[in-house]
Amino acid sequence: MPPPVPRRGLRPYRLAGPSWCLPVVFFLAVFFVVPLAANLLRSAPAGEAGGVLFYYEKLLTDGYYVGILLETLKVALVATLASLVVGYPVAYFMVRHAGRWNGVIVFFVVVPLLTSIIMRTFGWRVLLSRRGLLNAGLLDWGLITRPTDIAETSIAVYIGLVHVLVPFMVLSISSVLQGVDVRLEETARVLGAGRLRTFLHVTLPLSVDGIVTGCILVFVVTNGSFLTMLLLGGGKINTLALLIYQQFVTTQDVGFAAAMGNVLMLVAALCFGMQYWLLRRTGIRR
Amino acid sequence: MTKPGVPLRLDGISKSFGGTLVLEPLDLDIKEGEMLALLGPSGCGKTTTLRIIAGFETPDTGSIVIGGRDVTELPPNKRSLGMVFQNYSLFPHMSVGENVAFGLKMRGSNAADRTRQSRAMLEMVRLAQYEDHAVHQLSGGQQQRVALARALATSPAILLLDEPLGALDKNLRERMQFELREIQRKLNITSILVTHDQEEALTMSDRIAVMRRGAVVQVGHPTDVYDRPRTRFVSEFLGTANVFTGTVAQAGDAGAWIVTLDAQPHAQGKTFAPEPLAVGRRVTLAVRPERLVIVPPRDGVIRAMVKDLVFRGSYFAYELVADGHDQPIFLYSQTRQILAEDGRVGLTWAPESAVVLGDEA
Repeated sequence: MPPPVPRRGLRPYRLAGPSWCLPVVFFLAVFFVVPLAANLLRSAPAGEAGGVLFYYEKLLTDGYYVGILLETLKVALVATLASLVVGYPVAYFMVRHAGRWNGVIVFFVVVPLLTSIIMRTFGWRVLLSRRGLLNAGLLDWGLITRPTDIAETSIAVYIGLVHVLVPFMVLSISSVLQGVDVRLEETARVLGAGRLRTFLHVTLPLSVDGIVTGCILVFVVTNGSFLTMLLLGGGKINTLALLIYQQFVTTQDVGFAAAMGNVLMLVAALCFGMQYWLLRRTGIRR
Repeated sequence: MTKPGVPLRLDGISKSFGGTLVLEPLDLDIKEGEMLALLGPSGCGKTTTLRIIAGFETPDTGSIVIGGRDVTELPPNKRSLGMVFQNYSLFPHMSVGENVAFGLKMRGSNAADRTRQSRAMLEMVRLAQYEDHAVHQLSGGQQQRVALARALATSPAILLLDEPLGALDKNLRERMQFELREIQRKLNITSILVTHDQEEALTMSDRIAVMRRGAVVQVGHPTDVYDRPRTRFVSEFLGTANVFTGTVAQAGDAGAWIVTLDAQPHAQGKTFAPEPLAVGRRVTLAVRPERLVIVPPRDGVIRAMVKDLVFRGSYFAYELVADGHDQPIFLYSQTRQILAEDGRVGLTWAPESAVVLGDEA
């Protein structure tokens, strides 16, 4: 009897091997890793008086810069919470009630991301300005007697931020909610939970992965965004990203700008580390 | 643990979705402690009925009365129900014990009571040692029992079972049928079982309501529905039925009727009928495969030829063809019959084994 021929078909079938990742690895190495490394070097000037960590010391000890760092984090936090409050109901509605309108809602949720940030931000300026639609409307209805200056306040910044960021929140939450069986909610109802307690005990804990992902995305993106602050803040809000922009445009202190960029980078890395850790803890029960 | 059960009455409930009537006005009285099966193919309205009882859907007309209390307008959480879903629907973020105690927690009982009660329930389904396990660590059958324990922990008035055993493999399903039935009897809890599995309905319920296209076709004791199906649909949905058409020829002995079958000119089958049959009336007869008897060809009501024989473990299944009859005829026998070499046989049946079917609704 001839020995059995090894069956080639036993090897697991794969469409693509690991080598297919090479182009993207190459691309990221050249256009992402190298610039980052260069930035790191730029932020740590070797031969200068203040030492290698001069810029970082300045950033983390000078009261003015520490204040801006804290304000940056505060703005990101508030924008994140606002996006969560606005986004969760939309995501819930999309998944549970929209049915065949789901696609339409996704479209309208994503549309802000497809318009240029300049257009979008100027749109808000027009709406919120002294003689804009908002003031005209409020005046017409007699709700206010003189026009508000909302376009020059921090509220305008938050409106602009939430507008852009809510899609990240909605899509993160809805993708997780989609996996939460509606029968779990029905089970809770039959077992005696009202709508609110069903939400608190079943829906919310089961969608926590989506909330974490959405919040971290929004937080990180807010940290790095500056056009909204620049165009809608009217100087009321000063964040690290704005400061980087100013370093480049006005003072041209590239080293300091690089240091600030790296701090933002670190915050982002910490956030994603936290997300990985949280999801690994909660994700296993599925 | 036995307590007086609570009756459930459905009074003319109906439901349309987007202009399509999915449930015709339906009246059902379920006695205290009774297990009623809603049996039918998918889309027959059985699940809609269950969802209306649960309070997930509002009926367009009619009312639901649990123990004399009209609950039609009440939300699901105020109806005192227990429910077991096909996919068990256990909360993945809670332990087994927390799942069972959930209903008690929602009812505001304190932690000590909850633990005691949920332990008692887990003991009832023989899973006490799994209290602290995560849900996904249990097998399908165990999850099923946790779901049952959870549904019963709050001592609900009515137990709703939505294809409760559908996801289990055959052996386990049969064991669980008896176990579930035993617990239901012990607690004397009024129950509705939704299923498309006729065997499950026959095994588990006190009465079966066979549904089709949003209407109940027949309600009765399992043996009634099985042995005296009212329509062809019922006879074929509850197992296999051999259906013959014919014309009433004359009255036979002892209240039986003799029917000339269309298939073969000499074929004269006997049947009983609930009311007298007019001679010359067209009738449809149904005979269960296990009620057909193989006899020598000349003694048979109808002559047929064995086409196939399949051993099915507890019985032999014969597939036969008869001249003039376009459907295959099925016959189940406990023993292997000795056949003539050419495979030609006669088939006959006792008059009480044939049922006159009514017209389809």
